[in-house]
Amino acid sequence: MSWLRWRRKAKAGVRAAVLVLLLGTVAVTGILAGTVPAGGLSLLAFLPDLPAVPRLRIVEIARPADRPDDAILGRPVAMAFDGARLLVADALDCAVKIFSQDGRYLGSFGGKGQGPGELSFPSGVCVDGDVIAVADKLNLRIQLFDRQGRSRGGFVLPFTPDRVFALSAGRFLVTSNPTGRRSVESLLHIYGPAGRPIWDGLEARRSSDAVTDAFLNMILVCPGQADDFYVLFRSGDRRIFHYSASGSLRSPMAVDERLASTPVVMPVGRGGIRLSGFCWAAAFDRGLLYLSPPRLLAGKDLGPGRSVAILDANGRMRAEIDLPCAVHRFLVAAGRVFAIDEDEELRIFEVAR
Amino acid sequence: MTKRLAILALVGLVLVTTAAPAVNNQAQCNANHRSCREYTLNLDEPWYKVAVMLTACDIAFGKCIMGI
Repeated sequence: MSWLRWRRKAKAGVRAAVLVLLLGTVAVTGILAGTVPAGGLSLLAFLPDLPAVPRLRIVEIARPADRPDDAILGRPVAMAFDGARLLVADALDCAVKIFSQDGRYLGSFGGKGQGPGELSFPSGVCVDGDVIAVADKLNLRIQLFDRQGRSRGGFVLPFTPDRVFALSAGRFLVTSNPTGRRSVESLLHIYGPAGRPIWDGLEARRSSDAVTDAFLNMILVCPGQADDFYVLFRSGDRRIFHYSASGSLRSPMAVDERLASTPVVMPVGRGGIRLSGFCWAAAFDRGLLYLSPPRLLAGKDLGPGRSVAILDANGRMRAEIDLPCAVHRFLVAAGRVFAIDEDEELRIFEVAR
Repeated sequence: MTKRLAILALVGLVLVTTAAPAVNNQAQCNANHRSCREYTLNLDEPWYKVAVMLTACDIAFGKCIMGI
């Protein structure tokens, strides 16, 4: 080894020793002062506290008391707003139920079956102009209806659809859950008019266990403002993936640290399933993302949350809303929050002015 | 303890009470398994229950494939 190389190595060694000594001194001082836990040194401990997020107060809008039996929701799994009415896909009743902005029941369409206009486990609904699209899950198709609920055709899919979202020019974004039977599976699919496949994307995450995979691939999709859409994983990944209408991925957005994830180990399978719950439900409205984090149940399970965090386009938390009940899913439109609570009831909230 | 008993009861129910198919049809098993998983994932229940139900779907699928 040449003298020059030896000198360079010695210098690097001295520098590293000084750094270790410095960090050690800081850690020991911190432990003695009680500001740093003896179990480990966290860089976050030296960062100033993040500013508190303002909490918005909301009021619930009373729904009409005299509701017909048809207005009772069996298993409401998806919602859409057509500018004036709320559409709820009810998987149990195999129908799309329609409500006014005040929660008044206006009617329904669908019905169990395999024929045109009939549904089997509708799991998604969206509105594209005068067309209502429904993900007809167990019939493996997307069905189209007009605003009066009359069948207007549709297209068959080579997979089981989960949710459906309208993009521009008659295109639809369809999501799917991985079956675990193929080595590569996509979770997102874009279809053109008449059901022409245009794009597949977002490869399913895989582990050695099919049940764990189901949780790793639980996604939430929020249509954006200009034909774009946002994708979030319900656990494990704290980033928001922003896609353009063509399916190209823009840079993933890191979410504000103030929106905490909740780690949980579920005692299922060998060694349990380790998950980090991030988001239970999500919505997008007028440039803002609304995320509902999961709630820890009995110290070891995760369920629907009782709050909604409002994030701007950069993933920064702008405000938080405390809800009077836990909500499975919600939609923000026309200045209101339309939510489904744990009793499968439609609840409508408005920010108090 | 109660939860463990509930899981055992659920798994037992799947193993014991579901009717064994007379003819073991893999396509039918696949379709049933798919419906079971999709139904469970759309329940939107707390995750522990979802994990148990997905496990029950897999057990039922195995049982269907083996024709027991």
